[in-house]
Amino acid sequence: MPQTNPSTSGVRTEASILHVDLDAFYASVEQLENPKLRNSPVVVGGIGTRGVVCAASYEARKFGVRSAMPTAQARKLCPQGTFLVPRMGLYGEFSQRVMAILRDTTPLVEQLSVDEAFLDVASVHRLLGDPEEVGAHLRERVLSEIGLSLSVGIATTKFLAKVASDQAKPNGLLVVHAGGELAFLHPLPIRVLWGVGPKNAEKLQRIGVKTVGDVARVGIAPLVAAVGKAVGTHLFDLANNRDPRPIVTDREAKSIGHEETFGEDIRTRPEIERELFRLIDSVGSRIRKAGLSARTVTLKARYSDFQTVTRSHTLDSGTAVSGVIARTVFALLDQVDHERGLRLVGVHCSNFDDGSGAIQGTLAFGDANELQNSIDERRAEVDRVVDDVRRRFGKDAVQPAARIGMNDRQNPTLAD
Amino acid sequence: MKIRCERDTLVEAVATVQRAVASRAGASPVLSDIRVTATSDGVIELVGTDLEITNRVTVKADVEQSGIAVVPKMLGEIVRSLKGAITIEVKDDEATVTSGDFSTTLRLKHAEEYPRIDLSDGAGVRIDAGVFASALKQVVRAASRDDLRPILTGVLITTTEGGVRLVATDSYRLAVRDLPGVNVLGERQKVLVSAKGLAEVQRLGATGELEVILGERDVVFKTDTKEVSARLIDGDFPNYEQLIPSGYPNRLTVDRAAFREAVERVMVVGQGRDNASVKLTMKADGLTLTMAAQDIGTSQGSIDAKYEGTELVVAFNPQFLLDGIDAIEGDEVSLETVDNLKPATLRPAQGGDFLYLLMPVRTA
Repeated sequence: MPQTNPSTSGVRTEASILHVDLDAFYASVEQLENPKLRNSPVVVGGIGTRGVVCAASYEARKFGVRSAMPTAQARKLCPQGTFLVPRMGLYGEFSQRVMAILRDTTPLVEQLSVDEAFLDVASVHRLLGDPEEVGAHLRERVLSEIGLSLSVGIATTKFLAKVASDQAKPNGLLVVHAGGELAFLHPLPIRVLWGVGPKNAEKLQRIGVKTVGDVARVGIAPLVAAVGKAVGTHLFDLANNRDPRPIVTDREAKSIGHEETFGEDIRTRPEIERELFRLIDSVGSRIRKAGLSARTVTLKARYSDFQTVTRSHTLDSGTAVSGVIARTVFALLDQVDHERGLRLVGVHCSNFDDGSGAIQGTLAFGDANELQNSIDERRAEVDRVVDDVRRRFGKDAVQPAARIGMNDRQNPTLAD
Repeated sequence: MKIRCERDTLVEAVATVQRAVASRAGASPVLSDIRVTATSDGVIELVGTDLEITNRVTVKADVEQSGIAVVPKMLGEIVRSLKGAITIEVKDDEATVTSGDFSTTLRLKHAEEYPRIDLSDGAGVRIDAGVFASALKQVVRAASRDDLRPILTGVLITTTEGGVRLVATDSYRLAVRDLPGVNVLGERQKVLVSAKGLAEVQRLGATGELEVILGERDVVFKTDTKEVSARLIDGDFPNYEQLIPSGYPNRLTVDRAAFREAVERVMVVGQGRDNASVKLTMKADGLTLTMAAQDIGTSQGSIDAKYEGTELVVAFNPQFLLDGIDAIEGDEVSLETVDNLKPATLRPAQGGDFLYLLMPVRTA
């Protein structure tokens, strides 16, 4: 049975959705790894002429350094800061440790990115206490076991939980109790609403809408006239805290994927493959954990000019084997002009089977015929062993699993 | 170039060559075009290719001025939307398609960018189109569609005593058909032919004769007006013979139409579930089919069947099973099994030249 939670449908009578967000994640990991950097401004980002800031420690933010700002500008604002190139592999490991603590609390975890997730804790009451206690407990565990600070927002909808965690930052916890949603939300500026970028903000200002409360008061028709039907109705719903989206775990997801944005464009094949290995490794392990197998593998790439392309391949039958996903992704990479420079790559698997555990048998051709069957079955065995070792001894116990089946390639090393 | 042709004739010809043009993202743009050649003797030739398959059609037309043009594949939609006689006139780098008071002008690519297509030189072997088409129908569907496993996307054609054998597999099932008396290959020769190309050959029709010309890189199949060229695939086809068990302890004999209908009925509940499997429970008193789809429901049905062997439950992918049943010629099917893990065999109950090996689904 998929894990559908009765409380995820309909309106909640209790604030039981948690949005958890690691504070200044990349920069915090760097400070954790190098104690000399603690309490000092740290900026992680591309260091070349076109590099942008991926993350800034709170000490650096005091100088006005923000994510997505050109690194050159950040250097001017904060000349005394320590500027570091991102070490994605390292952040990935920390991320997985944090996610493991979350999944230890409830299986109803929807991971949004390396440093963010939603949790549905409605059903863990008897075991772990009320949502606020669960949130406090998570913050305590992540800090004591890993050393990172986590901000938590708790509310009746996903949207509001995210707004609450933003307000709680840094290193805080904020509960918006049922019944108090609109009182909390309405005084906030409109930019807290998803879908309000600078352009829409300007359009809304023109009709006198500055706060979320204004959005709710002005009514749906003027909103639609100002920003269009899709965005207008969406904003109106959010301003009234109408967000029926349930927590979607991997087990029920239509697609499981990971993406990575780089501080600086990458263009050489070994570099790209190294990043992809890591994404494939974690996507594969999430698919296996969810007991699924996927037939469609998609490679996503964003060029330096922001043009985004996706290339997909559908296999004859589903797979949960990292080596098979890797082989497919690397074949798809041939269809991407990576020499143009990539600022983002992503690996997504979709088209899942029903999770019944049924496996289509394969004909035993034998090894002589360079056919993948027997190799793939051995790779599946390797995945099982690796997953098991990691379950018992932690993610770091086996590294780098991304090499499975890629013996002919150079041993991938972590960035730096 | 200026030609005039009946709409219906042109629509059919363009549709045929369009099936061969590249649809894959990232393919060379010129491969999505159609080459039109008008010769002075009242015939036009249309060619479409993605370099794996090439389709060529010749149709009668009034040729006012001969010539050659490479036209965007939109030509297909344009001619479909028109009525009556259609004129195509090419001037410089534009083609104008006219019918009555309507016309469309298309910008053209340069014809010299179009790949050279070497078709059908050399003498061919003539074979019965109907016999070959029926064999393709049985075998082609078992080939893989996964381009990342190129060898399995081909159909093996190999010499046997007194004929040829066609074999295809996607590693989940394997289809083997013997064609005695059909001699398209040299002694002990074998070739691996693109299954996509052979699916086009199936469409050439089942009447009259086909001319088969085996080249270095392609094999060409010709009728009087159409021609399909399918690429030969390099590599060694798996050693499939060792997979076919020499004997089976269990044998089910069942009416083909009833079996087919039963599978179709129970598989409805698994719609959209690629990996839902149908369970066959085989007993002396008949066959029961069960299909369960998680969170949706279960269906089951029983049909008369003759069964010799020990009682057995074995699960299959219903589509693979259906493909096998469809491929059988004759009123009765035999399903032979060893156990619920080893490959099972479907064949015509009265014997014959066809065999379909199918791997069971292991259920949890």
